[in-house]
Amino acid sequence: MKRLILLLVAQTLLSVPVFSQEVKVPDAEQFVGKPQGQPVSGALLDQRTNEIGGLLRCPVCQGMSIADSPSEMAVNMKHQVRELIARGYTQEQILRYFERSYGQFVLLKPKFQGVNTLVWILPILALILGAAVIFSFMNRHPVDEPPATTADEDPYLAEVRKLTGKQS
Amino acid sequence: MNRVVLIAGILITVALVVILSAGLGKDPQHIESPLIGKQAPDFALKAVGTGETIDLTQFRGKPLVVNFWATWCRPCYEEHPVLVSNAQMMQGQVQFLGVVFQDKEEKIQQFLNERGTAYPTLVDQAGKTAIAYGVGGVPETFFLNKDGKVVAKFEGPIDPESLQQNVRKAMAQ
Repeated sequence: MKRLILLLVAQTLLSVPVFSQEVKVPDAEQFVGKPQGQPVSGALLDQRTNEIGGLLRCPVCQGMSIADSPSEMAVNMKHQVRELIARGYTQEQILRYFERSYGQFVLLKPKFQGVNTLVWILPILALILGAAVIFSFMNRHPVDEPPATTADEDPYLAEVRKLTGKQS
Repeated sequence: MNRVVLIAGILITVALVVILSAGLGKDPQHIESPLIGKQAPDFALKAVGTGETIDLTQFRGKPLVVNFWATWCRPCYEEHPVLVSNAQMMQGQVQFLGVVFQDKEEKIQQFLNERGTAYPTLVDQAGKTAIAYGVGGVPETFFLNKDGKVVAKFEGPIDPESLQQNVRKAMAQ
């Protein structure tokens, strides 16, 4: 009888679909390792979320950060940033996590490497060049007056001077 | 001095023109996926209708087509029959998975009841899976090889030719 009950229980358990497997979303730890900072909460968490959110581009907007965009995508990303900060992930780890998925496109402040170097260098070069142009104009020698013509060179002028009584 | 300034000015202008003109032909919404050639982020999500949890890793050994979509996305209506017919055609060889984000389960179920399906449709929680895959907008389709590596990404509603071309790539690698 006992065996029959056990058999019935086992059969019942086996016939029920097993959905015990947990829902698992990709986690930052898989890509950037364990948190390297301290868990953050309260007002500081809000502040850090806005700071880091301001460094990440909203992928469905035109040049807006996820901190500024009201789009659902940006809101989801911001929630994830918040969650990661709360767990103790550093700014560098969080940016690296998003960069792994979206590439450098997601960083509003481009990295100083490759072609991006030009983005940093060209404005500085343009500034130096502009300063050089202004400097060269400011230090330009005043236009020299034409040298006084001597009487030997111009007999007509010598005659005029003689008549007017002026000497060079 | 003026000659140096002139040459430097010309060089800077040429560099700026080259950089700006290189970006002119590009779609500002296009995101070059850094995931290509890398292991796809793992996930286990609940399937619409059955409630079963489907784990990406259970399909190792088979090429995968992972399509991100939503019922509020008009182009997704356009590509749905392409995905369903190809999934039926390649059954047993290639596994198709739909991942829906920013949507409601009732709406997804209604969509699938009306238009039919041939593969599991999973619900992304808080868009975390989409974020891990670098999804910028739906529809987007990722092609994974039998080892779970991303071999291609397609943005926008996929056509049969692009689908088959990318599936061949996933099968070859």
